[in-house]
Amino acid sequence: MSPALSHPVFERDFAVDPGDLLPAVTAENTPFWDGLRDGRLLAQICVSCDAPRFPIAPICPRCGDDTVAWRELSGRGTIFSWVRYHRSYLPEFADLLPYVVALVQLDEGPRMFARLIDPPNDPAIGDAVSLIIERWPGGRHVPAFALTGESR
Amino acid sequence: MRAATAICGAGTTGVGRFEARTPISLASGAVSLALADAGLSRGSIDGLIVHIGSPRGADYDEVASQLGLRVRFASQTWSHGRFGATVLQHAAMAVSCGLADYVLCLGAYKNSNLGLIGSKKSWGFEESLRYAGGPHGETPHAGFNGPVAASGFAARRYFHKYGQDPEKLAAIPVTFRQHAMLNPQARQRKPMSVEQYLAAPYIVEPLRLPDCSSVVDGAVALIVTSAERARTSRASPTYILGMQGVHAGPDEFIFGQPGLGVAQESVFDYASSGEGQDVYRMAGLKPADIDLLQIYDAFSPLVLLTLERFGFCKPGEAADYVQHGRIGLGGDLPVNTSGGMLSEGHLNGWSQMMEIVRQLRGEAGERQVAAARTAQWGTALGDSIIFGNEDTL
Repeated sequence: MSPALSHPVFERDFAVDPGDLLPAVTAENTPFWDGLRDGRLLAQICVSCDAPRFPIAPICPRCGDDTVAWRELSGRGTIFSWVRYHRSYLPEFADLLPYVVALVQLDEGPRMFARLIDPPNDPAIGDAVSLIIERWPGGRHVPAFALTGESR
Repeated sequence: MRAATAICGAGTTGVGRFEARTPISLASGAVSLALADAGLSRGSIDGLIVHIGSPRGADYDEVASQLGLRVRFASQTWSHGRFGATVLQHAAMAVSCGLADYVLCLGAYKNSNLGLIGSKKSWGFEESLRYAGGPHGETPHAGFNGPVAASGFAARRYFHKYGQDPEKLAAIPVTFRQHAMLNPQARQRKPMSVEQYLAAPYIVEPLRLPDCSSVVDGAVALIVTSAERARTSRASPTYILGMQGVHAGPDEFIFGQPGLGVAQESVFDYASSGEGQDVYRMAGLKPADIDLLQIYDAFSPLVLLTLERFGFCKPGEAADYVQHGRIGLGGDLPVNTSGGMLSEGHLNGWSQMMEIVRQLRGEAGERQVAAARTAQWGTALGDSIIFGNEDTL
């Protein structure tokens, strides 16, 4: 078994309890959330396609295989698209305004919406990012990303 | 199917901020007007389909009980704007199957008291917590909530994919504002220039305030029946010539385009099958035959996507297509002639379908498209209805 990758953990402070922003933990998605707690980004794998899928689903939407396996992803990807919030929709994020949310193209194939932590300027589509794990109050861990400074 | 069914009565409260009224009160107003328009008694209604129920609207059971409708076919769709035309399609199907003779189709909304849509105080926040993402991809733990961001993600990728300048979006809200200025009941009627658009603040960048639809209250009731029965109505029939449904699947993102790659969509070169689509084949028409088009424009980029989806222009060309008044009244293809959701107000497509009825009856006044015979409703998800009048048949 290869050594675990090391992703920075960012302790996120909140003025209000962010608990109700998180989806419920279920038997199906527990490995994903436990993985983040353990410092890993895990995705379901379709055994037939040998491809990771996201978001969590009971079968592979491409081939219908229902075998569930999990694989650790590298946490590396690129910016596929991004938006910058100038108005607050969530009080838990109000102190971060203006803030960027990215649609990250993970190297292994799936895409994920996640906060882009502190980009110095406008990100560009194709900018490389890597995983940061946010530690939230109450023991939940959430995926976020930061620019690595490269472009691909 | 072509011209087998028709709208035989239409009524609207208009749009505005109706602080003192409830959804059922708004519904009641529109229903009474539609019945009068059709020359029908309440007892004739034997089908009822509601688009959006409580808290924004009134549920079918409340409507039927409180408005004294005794129906043998009742239905209601999910509480999102995307199913407006689906309600009319289901009504046409119910009539065609003999499940009802006169189906009351209802879009009634009280939106102004719901709080900022996308905030936790507004309705539907729990849908954002679906663990595969909300109805517009919402991911609250990433700070992503509210449908405007979904349109923003897709728009930025769209402009990147096709190498187009996002500032070309300006033509869309500017054109629809011009239309709204000819509509006394539209919410936004102040003139807006391209310069004013570009100076407007970003809400969720790349989208600005004028790229977002206006929140309004209002109700529209449309009565669908067979073409034969419609011809005995007081009002001039609005025939349903062709239809196709909402598309869904891994390659359909609510505000995206197949092949764009937003969320989990695959990446490929998109080509619309244009006039080969069911709505055109059923109607026996091509895009070039459409006299006016109503598009679900909750956000301006959706207009680009919808034009391309139906083949009015090629993928990547819509940003140029909408320039120079082409989609304005007097242009080649008038779009959202009463101001659209952007300027008339977001009534989930119902005020736009009301406008189709007016246009095809020749009752659109200053906004009348000359000799309008065919009108199409369409969304970026590929659902569509083509309507016609007696002159089309």
